[in-house]
Amino acid sequence: MTTQVQEPTTAAAAPAVSPETAAAPAAIPTVSPETAAKPAAMAPDMAAPAAAAPTAGLVPEKRKFTVAEYYRMTELGILDHTERLELIDGEIIVMAAIGVPHAIGVNRLTQAFAEVARNRFTVSVQNPVHLDDYSEPQPDVAIVRLREDSELTAHPGPADTLVAVEVSDSTLVFDLGAKARRYAAAGIQELWVMNLPGDRIDRMDQLGPSGYARHTVFARGENISPGALPDLAFAVADLLPPRTTMQGTARG
Amino acid sequence: MTTQVKEPTAAVAPAIAPETAAAVPAAIAPEVAAIPAAPATADTAAGLTREKRKFTVAEYYRMAEVGILGRDERVELIEGEIIVMAPMGERHANGVRRIDRVLHRALGDAAIISVQCPLRLDDYSEPEPDIALLRLREDEYLDSHPGPADTLVAVEVSDSSLAFDLGDKARRYAAAGIPEMWVMNLPGDCIDRLDQPGPSGYARHTVFRRGDKIRPAALPDLEFAVADLLPPRPAS
Repeated sequence: MTTQVQEPTTAAAAPAVSPETAAAPAAIPTVSPETAAKPAAMAPDMAAPAAAAPTAGLVPEKRKFTVAEYYRMTELGILDHTERLELIDGEIIVMAAIGVPHAIGVNRLTQAFAEVARNRFTVSVQNPVHLDDYSEPQPDVAIVRLREDSELTAHPGPADTLVAVEVSDSTLVFDLGAKARRYAAAGIQELWVMNLPGDRIDRMDQLGPSGYARHTVFARGENISPGALPDLAFAVADLLPPRTTMQGTARG
Repeated sequence: MTTQVKEPTAAVAPAIAPETAAAVPAAIAPEVAAIPAAPATADTAAGLTREKRKFTVAEYYRMAEVGILGRDERVELIEGEIIVMAPMGERHANGVRRIDRVLHRALGDAAIISVQCPLRLDDYSEPEPDIALLRLREDEYLDSHPGPADTLVAVEVSDSSLAFDLGDKARRYAAAGIPEMWVMNLPGDCIDRLDQPGPSGYARHTVFRRGDKIRPAALPDLEFAVADLLPPRPAS
């Protein structure tokens, strides 16, 4: 934060102080005896409030929204049905536009999972996962345990989700950082981040009290398996979009 | 995170001395240009934070109407974000009451003193400054909240919110065209006056201490002793 602290019209200014000041001498601080007496002491003082800026009060507390309030806003039309949004930690986040490599990544994951899903799990694509009262992200793909019809009254939660997958381009830092922490805190056992800039898949697992304890990188040529479905193995090269689609995306 | 503390005033001051608006722009230009480089922006660019869904003033009111925002919530809308106002400490409240009383005594009917009421800055911002000095209007702004053109001075009393008030909030007030902002700086035991607003912030920042007098530019006949406005120094 840049807080502009212009040194007051202190000692230096005083001699030059002219028309307006002349009209009302007492109004300008430089004229006051106290101030004039210690101009040297003022300079460091001046910086003090601004120097405190980085540590405190830069980001005021936001009014967080619950999932219920978030839905109510959609119901009432405050949020439009066409808006691509997700609720993370009580904040309503605008989802980034889906680029071509991102879309291809989502489709390839969906197809690979669907081929082996039958009677084992549900492949949920860009649908909500209910983490808690304040977070309902929409991972690009989620492998969700099969649920009975009677259970289908709510979006799947952490206990239902075997793997959440985010396909990340411009949102990579957020997805590997704040979002991963959120998934971990809610108890999502395993998160895959399809790292488009890095042309690889980052797997986070071994959920512990302080988040995912393990972060493993899978490159083309390797296979990746969900921890909950160890008999399945997917070739990373089959999941990633072809390199030729990645033009404009920096290699990591 | 670097805080830019401008030193130029030693050099600038002689040039500003006449305090004419005409003299200022040339001296100010480089400062204003420095503002967009704020590190907070860099965080966003690096993808650490994501774009928030901003709310308009209309949406904000609708939320209150339907009870999503409770009547007892102390919030304000700043750049489309609903900000929870910090609980008000005794010194903060004391500062508000002092300013209110001193201004009332001096102003009479020369202006309206508005205490913790909304200012409509634009479609995305409706802060509630601790005090706003408003142009006199017979209807006391019955049909619409006052806006930048109605506001002579906005005053924020700042304790824990100091950096936000002097930073983002001041930039918002300046961009909306509020001509003058006073920040009663409780940690610094002084009043920071920001004036000469521009699209990226106030170009001038002057500190007034106990012993100094401060005047609203729009009401130059009035002057207030800073020591009368500040809460008594805390015993420490």
